[in-house]
Amino acid sequence: MKTGKPPMKAIEVEHLSKVYPGGIKAVDDISFDVEEGEVWGFLGPNGAGKTTTIRMIITLGLPTSGSIKVFGIDVSRDSARVRSMLGYVPQAVSVDGDLTAYENLLIFSKLFDVKKADRPDRIKEALDYMGLSERADDLVKHFSGGMMRRLEIAESLVNRPKILFLDEPSIGLDPASRLKTWGYIKKLNSEYGVTIFITTHDMEEADELCDRLAIMNQGKIAVSGAPEDLKRSIGGDLVTVKTSARPPSTVPADLGTVTEVEDYSLKILTANGEAALPQIIDYLRNQGVAIKGISLSTPSLDDVFMKYTSAGRDTRGSFRETREARKAFERRAR
Amino acid sequence: MASATKFVSSALTIAEMEARKIRHDSSELWMRAIQPALWLVVFGSALTELRSSQLTEGNFTYLQFMSAGIIAQSVLFVAILYGVRLIWERDMGMLTKLLSTPAPRASVVVGKTLASSVRGIFMAIVVLGLTLVLGINLRLDPLDVLGVFSVVILFAMAFTAFSMTLSAFLGTQSRMMAFGQALTMPLFFASNAIYPISLMPRWLQYVSEVNPLSYVVDAMRSMILTGVYTQVPLDIAAIGVFTLLMMVSASLVLRKLVQ
Ligand SMILES: Nc1ncnc2c1ncn2[C@@H]1O[C@H](COP(=O)(O)OP(=O)(O)OP(=O)(O)O)[C@@H](O)[C@H]1O
Ligand SMILES: [Mg+2]
Repeated sequence: MKTGKPPMKAIEVEHLSKVYPGGIKAVDDISFDVEEGEVWGFLGPNGAGKTTTIRMIITLGLPTSGSIKVFGIDVSRDSARVRSMLGYVPQAVSVDGDLTAYENLLIFSKLFDVKKADRPDRIKEALDYMGLSERADDLVKHFSGGMMRRLEIAESLVNRPKILFLDEPSIGLDPASRLKTWGYIKKLNSEYGVTIFITTHDMEEADELCDRLAIMNQGKIAVSGAPEDLKRSIGGDLVTVKTSARPPSTVPADLGTVTEVEDYSLKILTANGEAALPQIIDYLRNQGVAIKGISLSTPSLDDVFMKYTSAGRDTRGSFRETREARKAFERRAR
Repeated sequence: MASATKFVSSALTIAEMEARKIRHDSSELWMRAIQPALWLVVFGSALTELRSSQLTEGNFTYLQFMSAGIIAQSVLFVAILYGVRLIWERDMGMLTKLLSTPAPRASVVVGKTLASSVRGIFMAIVVLGLTLVLGINLRLDPLDVLGVFSVVILFAMAFTAFSMTLSAFLGTQSRMMAFGQALTMPLFFASNAIYPISLMPRWLQYVSEVNPLSYVVDAMRSMILTGVYTQVPLDIAAIGVFTLLMMVSASLVLRKLVQ
């Protein structure tokens, strides 16, 4: 055999699609790689297909077509082997309310083959780290939602998988727990070399944690890359105009492109902000829209998100998205 | 070899998980014991004055005759509604979590059915305890009681797995509840649980020949009442095959539940 093997890919997804019974095309021919040891983010509006993709990778859902490899192993071939390498924190709380916090950790550490000698220390450490030591022997059904979430995250600290899937991990956490969770994700990643696959709606979180990320929209990957590169790729400046009435949802192309419209504000991405500013003001005046304020900034990850997803183009459209999300919510736990 | 060890340890861990839940809250089990108690105390006592060798297939009181049937019935009730619980676990995301662990899927079925057989044993102990309280004269020597427990374990595992299979197709708690309840009565009445097969019309006799409950009751009745063991090996073989079939089918369709 040749030595000096190329760096291992943690996940290789090729031409993956998923059509749910009923014809919803949740994932539409996506391909991407996740490198071993990186934090990979999956962003996208509600219903974009993030959870569906994760479920296929962790062998819970069957792809309609395409292939998935986890550390070189085809998930359709040896799903048990794949599952032995991964941890999963689902989008909906899934800890067992009829067991105590300690028992939840104990049972799952056994299922993940954590050595008996390692269990007590790791469980204690995880409980301490997530601030649950005092409640270790209470039934989890008496916990608050955020505490359940923390317990769920503690599970992966005990099991230390090779790759961890976190589906919106900071949902429902208070600011302190959220920061703790970020710290914990970084610790797992840098100290234990765990590859992290995270989905989030929180751009700050994505910016803070992810080495690379993909933005999904309607089942497709709209764009992917390092957060810095994505921000730079948008280029130009962002003009935010506050208005006293609903602004127009488009502007002439030479002024720039509208990335976000709300009832009393408008964001326009433009190549040269300083030059475009007076023109934008003139244009809006001519449209009969009174301007209450105007500012210039460089793009953030939010703007990248808005540019590449349908959610950003017109907020009215997002009502339908919300309804979709509700429906998805009812099915969320599956 | 490693995978066999893994299988056994996963199954035991999942059984342990369920056992811990029973330990935290066993009130449900006690409530489930009310029904068999009523059958014995009300139904059985009312009929027990009726001494008929035709009804009890021997010189036994009706209470003696029906005891094995009531054990079987109480276990059946616990097992056949297991699917409701499983769908609830699915809805709460717990099953999804469990299936994302390296535990082999069949070991999840074995673990959960094993735990359910613990509930079954509990019911058997309650009913046997009641027969003592009511002064029903049964052959309760240790080997026979162990024999009854073994049958109960197999039987509970079989019907729990059956219920898991059904739940994968029915998909909601309410449908599973309705279907499970609709199923118990025909199974119960088309068996030798509360009257002998010889009293049934021809067509019903055929039905009861393929009803696993008949084999269960026959085996237990041989052990705790008649002491005639000739049919027992056949009974146990039939139950064993049925159990295996149900476990395999549950393992195959379990994943359907989380898709
Ligand atoms: N079990 C299911 N059966 C049918 N359709 C489903 C099922 N699960 C999800 N969908 C649909 O697939 C699409 C993608 O859903 P998915 O849950 O993957 O989105 P998501 O990106 O995770 O969204 P969110 O940010 O809201 O969690 C949605 O249109 C949803 O309604
Ligand atoms: Mg999701």
